[in-house]
Amino acid sequence: MSIIPWLKQKVFIFRSPWRDILQFLLVIAAIIWFITISTSRVGYNWQWYRVPRYLFRVEDGRLVAGALIQGLLFTLRISGFSLVLSLLIGLLTAFVRLSGSFMGRILSRVYLEIIRNTPLIVQIYLVYFVIGPILGFGRFTSAMLALSLFQGAYLSEIFRAGIVSLHKGQWEAAHSLGLSTFHTYRDVILPQAIRRILPPLTSQVITLIKNSALVSVVALGDLALRAQIVAADTFLTFEIWFTTALIYLAITVPLSTIVNLMEKRFKILT
Amino acid sequence: MIEKELGEHIITIDNVSKTFPGGVQAVKDFSTKIRRREVVVIMGPSGSGKSTLLRCLNGLEEADSGTIVVDNIPLDDNRKNRLEIRKEVGMVFQSFNLFPHLTALENVNLAQIRVRKKSQKEATKLSMELLNKVGIAEKSGNYPAQLSGGQQQRVAIARALAMMPKVMLFDEPTSALDPEMINEVLDVMKNLATEGMTMVVVTHEMGFAREVSDWIIFMDDGQIVETGTAEHFFKNPQEDRTKLFLSQIL
Repeated sequence: MSIIPWLKQKVFIFRSPWRDILQFLLVIAAIIWFITISTSRVGYNWQWYRVPRYLFRVEDGRLVAGALIQGLLFTLRISGFSLVLSLLIGLLTAFVRLSGSFMGRILSRVYLEIIRNTPLIVQIYLVYFVIGPILGFGRFTSAMLALSLFQGAYLSEIFRAGIVSLHKGQWEAAHSLGLSTFHTYRDVILPQAIRRILPPLTSQVITLIKNSALVSVVALGDLALRAQIVAADTFLTFEIWFTTALIYLAITVPLSTIVNLMEKRFKILT
Repeated sequence: MIEKELGEHIITIDNVSKTFPGGVQAVKDFSTKIRRREVVVIMGPSGSGKSTLLRCLNGLEEADSGTIVVDNIPLDDNRKNRLEIRKEVGMVFQSFNLFPHLTALENVNLAQIRVRKKSQKEATKLSMELLNKVGIAEKSGNYPAQLSGGQQQRVAIARALAMMPKVMLFDEPTSALDPEMINEVLDVMKNLATEGMTMVVVTHEMGFAREVSDWIIFMDDGQIVETGTAEHFFKNPQEDRTKLFLSQIL
């Protein structure tokens, strides 16, 4: 490991690929050994052949989504809605917090502290049982709102950090040209801030997808709840939960890969 | 000094004071008047309040007391007046402050499109003219990081000029530049002065002050110590503080 990465790239040190291959094989062997031991202790009977029907079934010659895929679609739907709403909440909270309004700063601070210091599961219950009935929200809307409020708090801190990380000369240049605060944010500050906060933003999106599993506590049929039901019905505990984990990975890994590529593509030269 | 006919007073600074939250009083009861087409150089040791005074002129810093009037618009709490003054007053910074995510052309275009409400095409036309004037038209598609310091500062001047300001403020425009790039920026500023732009320049470039400025303000401790033409400053400065300063930088 070099401390200065750009110096490291210029020095070419030959490294046998066999070392990496050997390490990789050792890790795989360790994992297989671990799983074999743990399943043999409980006398587990692997039945992978029973899993595919919970992903896809063929009914009347047509391909139908199984319980797990239905759960996945639901997870994607609630995550998608929450993502849009939480980005709006996050951006708005960041603006209010950075604004000159005293009341606004206090309010956004209180919101942040409440959200960040209570568990998400409690917030979901609160929104579902208390706020939902008052405002006439259904189960889906309540859960989606709770998720968005939760994620919005974290996103607002990320947005704020990105905005204040910019050199104050950028503000001064924009103001001295007569740009309004709105245009300064839109054309000067945010385009630069967003590129800087892309990595933490991505990890928040991934957290959102994972946190959406908690909406199962208000009996919404997301991927986690469906997996629980299928596992309970079939006793295919290991198979179903491994499959479920793989499905989550299948969404989140490509997401971070895409963002990594975007980061390289939109990098600002400095 | 460049021969030209001066106009009426365009900037009036009356009893302006500015104290920073930390308790440092940067500008103390400062008063002066500047005429249209005049080039005024402000000199003084660091911490003497030159930059603060300059930044008060377009509202980047808010004066605590006193009045500033630019082109008959008073700079006060009225947000509209402040925006109006910023349209009339261009500013060039020591650290260029170009927008790094925009090309040179886009940097010059932005305020024309957003503030002057011009079309992309109209803006580009003026921008290319200005970039040509500062001698950097062929680099219009480059990002700031792909330009040298001198080139960046010239783009920054073009960007400020694109708003067609009546006054240009320069806050140590050459202090961050390598020695061999200073002249390319000073030449652009000289041309501007020749064309009759009203300019207030904080700088220690004696050659520029001698050749271009109509008069010089020497500041220390937030106040005017001495004013006069470049000739006066170089031949017979009156105050001891001025003599000491000049002996150190000449």
